[in-house]
Amino acid sequence: MRYLIILFFTFQLFAVDATLKIEKDVEERARISLVDGSGSTLPIGERFFSTLISDLKISGHFLPDATHHRGSISSNTVAPALKSKDYVLKYSLSQAGGLRATVKLFNASDASLLATKDYSMASINKYPFMAHKIVSELNAMLKYPDVNWLNRYVIFSRYTAAKRSVIVLADYTMQYQKTVIKGGLNLFPKWADPRQKSFYYTSFNGIIPTLYRLNIYNGSKTKITSSQGMLVCSDVSRNGSKILLTMAPDAQPDIYEMRVASRSTRRITNFAGIDVGGKYLGGEQSIVFVSNRLGYANIFKQSIGSSAVSQVVFRGRNNNAVDAYGNKVVYASRESHNSFGLNAFNLYMTSANGSGTRPLTTTGVNQFPRFSTNGNTILYVKQYQNRSSVGYINLVSNQSLLFPLGGKVQSIDW
Amino acid sequence: MIKKIALFSVIVLLLTSGCSQKKPKPGTDANSIVGETVTIDESGVNSSSRYNGSSDGMKSVYFDFGDYDISYDAQRTVTFNAGVVKGKLRGGKIKLEGNCDEFGTDEYNYALGLKRAKAVKDSLQAQGVRAGQIVLVSYGESNPQCREATESCYGRNRRVDLHPVR
Repeated sequence: MRYLIILFFTFQLFAVDATLKIEKDVEERARISLVDGSGSTLPIGERFFSTLISDLKISGHFLPDATHHRGSISSNTVAPALKSKDYVLKYSLSQAGGLRATVKLFNASDASLLATKDYSMASINKYPFMAHKIVSELNAMLKYPDVNWLNRYVIFSRYTAAKRSVIVLADYTMQYQKTVIKGGLNLFPKWADPRQKSFYYTSFNGIIPTLYRLNIYNGSKTKITSSQGMLVCSDVSRNGSKILLTMAPDAQPDIYEMRVASRSTRRITNFAGIDVGGKYLGGEQSIVFVSNRLGYANIFKQSIGSSAVSQVVFRGRNNNAVDAYGNKVVYASRESHNSFGLNAFNLYMTSANGSGTRPLTTTGVNQFPRFSTNGNTILYVKQYQNRSSVGYINLVSNQSLLFPLGGKVQSIDW
Repeated sequence: MIKKIALFSVIVLLLTSGCSQKKPKPGTDANSIVGETVTIDESGVNSSSRYNGSSDGMKSVYFDFGDYDISYDAQRTVTFNAGVVKGKLRGGKIKLEGNCDEFGTDEYNYALGLKRAKAVKDSLQAQGVRAGQIVLVSYGESNPQCREATESCYGRNRRVDLHPVR
């Protein structure tokens, strides 16, 4: 009888604990208010505030107060109305010699100063990056899981006319954009290194497509290889030493792996139809890719060095884009019935063995899924009701945000 | 016995309670965000082809949606082009440019455009044009002849263009 009573109490405790845990996941996001001490005349004031709010939201670790509170940051006090929050972030921007920001973080309940920091940048145009830096460092200081992807460049290509394009650097909100290559036809940009110093792209300005690597800081351009037909760098290994290419030296598009230092390549797929878009799975000993070997575009998996191919996705009739992180796979699937009717492409998350498939989007044309560097957030491009947006889905917190994107994107990476 | 159960319960509660709030360390730091990037202008680079359609008497070859097979009508066009290559462009190199409509991702479309160009190449070879005379490239959906959202326009964009290489 005693043991039954002990057992009963134990189960009761864990039952209560399980319920509390579910509620706690939502409540674990820190409530934070922002107080702007910049003064109302600063032109970028509202945009900077909105950027901070977006960053806090998409991180998945904060519940930001959307009210744009204003007040001096010189005093180390917290307004009574904000004492119910967890934190108060006071900041002040100034435009002397570029852009400067002074930031103070307070514990809201007792107004204790937790941190103070100054930021500066020479170009005010890059103000979104200052906001991203503030939030990512705040996040790190509070020991939340990493969100350093906020600081990264997004790179994309866009057609400007027939056989003309630009390649553009942007912050993840698309508020900052700078053309890095203009003129000619240069497509499929892909970051070459984790620190984003250089990227690969395909130039169509010669007789045959040529892959180059460009350093975005000093402009040095290195020819990697050329191939008749088509040539795309679809993925880069973590240490940058190997790249996956879609090449067609015999006018047959297949996936190859190249060791960048030696330029040696080995063919991975060997199929008479279309194999494109190879992405490394965890361990980089196998890939997922898009192939029409079943008569329509679908997602397959193959070990590098083996000819055995296995199907990953078993639904949909046109799954034509894929990305992978570890064992996680995200793909785009066309869901319209009529080839010439309104197209709907939705994103799905699955695993390399095809299990656990779930939708990530439900409306519009959603394409170009790309995992963040930590695999917790997915970037994608959405076309809906004649509007084009770049979207982000935080897979952990299920937060999602959309930002306007002018014009149709040809290819994107981050 | 009751005391033991109570003690046990307290211990379990303590073990399963949430972690205390982490205390961040205060600090002051000056932090500079720098790094200006370049802009490369390739407007002056010689583009291999400014054409938007075939040239020098050759005709574009058209394809069905998602397809890269040569249809009966397309075969007649290829035969005509083979005559131009072997006659007027005797010995010269030609470039076959595969193109697609706007549906699907661009990387897949580049591959589809290339398969179309290859299909035309194979057909030209079958009619006596030497393989060494032919260069292939795909422009995917980058080179539309029209932009209207109509079946007719989509069809015009699903094509292979032919040009001499100069």
